[in-house]
Amino acid sequence: MKRDVVIGIEIHCELKTNSKMFSASRNSINDTPNIHVNEIDLGHPGVLPTLNKRAVELTLRACMLTHCEIDSLIKFDRKNYYYSDLPKGFQITQQFHPIGKNGLIEFEVDQQRKQVRLDRIHMEEDTAKQYHLEDETHIDYNRAGVPLIEIVSKPDMSSAKEAKEYVSTLRNMLIFAEVTDGKMEEGSLRCDINISLKEADSVQFGTKVEIKNLNSLNNIEKAIEAEILRQNQLLDAGEKVLMQTRRYDETLKTTVAMRSKESAVDYRYFPEPNLRPIQLEQAWIDSIQASLPKTPQQWLEHLIELGATVIEANILINNKSLLDFFIEASKEVKDVRLALNWTITEVTSLVNIMQEKLFEMVSSHHFALFLNCISDKVISGKQAKDVLKWMSESGKDAQTLVNEHGLVMVSDDTALLNWIDEAIQENPQSILDFKQGKDRAVGFLVGQVMKKSKGQADPARCNALVRARLLEQ
Amino acid sequence: MNVNEAINRLKEIQSTTNACVTIIEHDVKTHEGVLSDVPIALKDNVITKGILTTGGSKLLSNYIPPYNATIVDKIKQAGGIIVAKTTLDELGMGGTGTASFNGPVKNPFDLTRQAGGSSSGSAVVVAAKAVDIAIGSDTGDSVRKPASYVGVVGTKPTYGRISRYGIIPYASSLDHVGYFTSDVRLAALMCDVLSGQDKMDHTSLPYPSTTLAPQLHDDVKGKVYGIFKEVLEAIDHPQTLKNFDAVCKALESKGAIIKTISMNETILRTCLPTYYIIANCEATANHSNLTGVNFGLTQEGEDVETIMTNTRTHGFGPLIRKRFVIGSYGLKDENQDKLFRKAQKVRRVIVNEFNRMLSECDGLIAPATTSTAPLLEGANMNVLSNAHLIAENYMVLANFSGAPSITVPIMPVDGLPHGINLTCKIEDEATMFQLALAIETCVKEGL
Repeated sequence: MKRDVVIGIEIHCELKTNSKMFSASRNSINDTPNIHVNEIDLGHPGVLPTLNKRAVELTLRACMLTHCEIDSLIKFDRKNYYYSDLPKGFQITQQFHPIGKNGLIEFEVDQQRKQVRLDRIHMEEDTAKQYHLEDETHIDYNRAGVPLIEIVSKPDMSSAKEAKEYVSTLRNMLIFAEVTDGKMEEGSLRCDINISLKEADSVQFGTKVEIKNLNSLNNIEKAIEAEILRQNQLLDAGEKVLMQTRRYDETLKTTVAMRSKESAVDYRYFPEPNLRPIQLEQAWIDSIQASLPKTPQQWLEHLIELGATVIEANILINNKSLLDFFIEASKEVKDVRLALNWTITEVTSLVNIMQEKLFEMVSSHHFALFLNCISDKVISGKQAKDVLKWMSESGKDAQTLVNEHGLVMVSDDTALLNWIDEAIQENPQSILDFKQGKDRAVGFLVGQVMKKSKGQADPARCNALVRARLLEQ
Repeated sequence: MNVNEAINRLKEIQSTTNACVTIIEHDVKTHEGVLSDVPIALKDNVITKGILTTGGSKLLSNYIPPYNATIVDKIKQAGGIIVAKTTLDELGMGGTGTASFNGPVKNPFDLTRQAGGSSSGSAVVVAAKAVDIAIGSDTGDSVRKPASYVGVVGTKPTYGRISRYGIIPYASSLDHVGYFTSDVRLAALMCDVLSGQDKMDHTSLPYPSTTLAPQLHDDVKGKVYGIFKEVLEAIDHPQTLKNFDAVCKALESKGAIIKTISMNETILRTCLPTYYIIANCEATANHSNLTGVNFGLTQEGEDVETIMTNTRTHGFGPLIRKRFVIGSYGLKDENQDKLFRKAQKVRRVIVNEFNRMLSECDGLIAPATTSTAPLLEGANMNVLSNAHLIAENYMVLANFSGAPSITVPIMPVDGLPHGINLTCKIEDEATMFQLALAIETCVKEGL
């Protein structure tokens, strides 16, 4: 029997703010546990929430990028439940009046335009992180109260590929807007997938299963494929799909049940009395709209204007850190094309080894100064590779390393000709080779000069001079 | 009164009244200011860093907070010395002073009687002349009613005038910081000390501290005192009515205008049930943090859920558990429309009607209570009578609307203290202290 797949996705996305949603503690979840914690995050008696303006601003960006209708009257509600990761006994969220409604996201799947409607975007606070050991549970409150947005799609997707592309598009969009760092493996962007099967062309939806804790784009695709298969097999066998929360098991390559969801929990939502409704000023909303960071598409166009090829531009927009690094450096360099070449080749291979650590060791300013050393012929391209590697190891700037290692590029004709004449005398055969039209003789001699100069000879100038000398012979 | 005298007096009255949870002998002055060296007591729901803060609950009977309430910092900056944490009905819920984990509070004027609640201990320490200033909190009438029962001034400024940051809540939309003082001038001064916008309290009013005390006077020529008609009609104690009438006459002789103002009685009778629903619903959520996971008197259990259940069952008194059940019931999805949301709609109707009354006068007055403080044992009133539904509970109107309200002691009833309540327009504490001072002056002058 032919069945349609119906998929809706809820994304929880941690916002890139300095402080928490309702307290002044730092928002930094990967530090030593329980160091970014105050009485508010721990839900001590007598505490009150205050709203993080930057979090509202970042949420508005997300709403604008996804074409949501914006509710400029901000209201919060309490979601009440007891759990050890929720110290107040309630979560402050936006149940009744989400800040964004009725959005739309467009992307391409197999060269087809696909649209997914958003039901809502709302703000809330994250819970603490729990680590369950064999007979004890550890709680890290660094995450308690971290600003979060929940982005809820309509059930508009019908394949694993579409779902993956939806998350990928949305994630990249939010990373570029600096709304989130989007690190799925660290949980700063988390997906819950709702999936059901229904008979083709039927209006009656099937029983919904929720898959939680998916930590990569690839796992989203695999989990959905596995779940579609599982549900089809159940239905083919005449069995029922149970309303459940499941997770994807990478070793079993299938989804496994976590808990049943037969009865809905009553969260006893009611308006948060400790936060007055806040009317956002239209001028502020407009200023956020006007200063939205470039989208991936806009960056692509900008990079091409700067002289990048489409392939190069795509490499850069798939790594926001690398893009930022390049863009910052490109503002200071004498030769943007040179900057592109070095970013795409040498920097990318260093990033593959060092990941984000590279950007800590080599600032974009140092990178720009380094490139200018090449443009100014202070160092040769061959020397430059070593210098960049040293920079990535030491954090020092190019000029300092050039001095430390005694590197200078010799472009002075007299000095170069001395080495060239020596090389020709030692290799008379090369004159004959050249006269017989063997151009590699030039390369050979330049190589000899490089050796004599310990790599300091300007290869381009050297090349020209060797050629001239040979013609004179 | 100096700090040592205050501490000695607090110790002296403790065995008879049980006014304090903790007497603090080690606090020192950290700043110079208008309260330099003045001993001050705090209701034990005011969070004090490093000092036991129980909220009157067994569950918090070992709780040493890691931070200070905003008002504690303000008192210290003004030079005040904290000398006691006072007994209250558990978590501020209850109006009798008999529901604290450390036992009932007794009225210093008659030890067989209540001091009222929930700010019972704070009312008593001022009445017993141990201190001139004690902080309380007022969700229904928890400062203004005990003030009447023990004969001190009890003030509750406008909602948001004083920061609630660091006050263990009862019901957030109704909770006000209030305080007891030995006279009205000190009440105005305390408003100046405690008020001011607090970035830690999003509901605090967007104004700096008030400066009311220096300008305070009691000239009420041409000022209109509105008499709350339905409250007076629901009182049948002759001396209460006679005393009230004498005060009105004295005010008139000072040039004030006395005018009777009426409230729709049907709306008025909804106040108490509306209050119970809103307060209990908010309270049940507010106190969901009391689970024993991070702080408090934790009970054993094989898993987190059992620890929470045991901690709460063991830690709360029966009255609190009852209120939490009512609150949870009112918030349940299937009940919210007919209980919690309906109560909020009714609250808006009540507030509109009350504001209309306040717009017809400069201040609305009535006896704060029908008569004197009830006995500790066997003091039950017909809960559906107007005496109970209206005259004993009308002061909650100022919590619904947030209007500033003050109880000023007048002449005794049956030989025991009694007071008048005065409520003014939102944010108009200046008029409130002026009208209150005139009442105090009339009483001092022997009318």
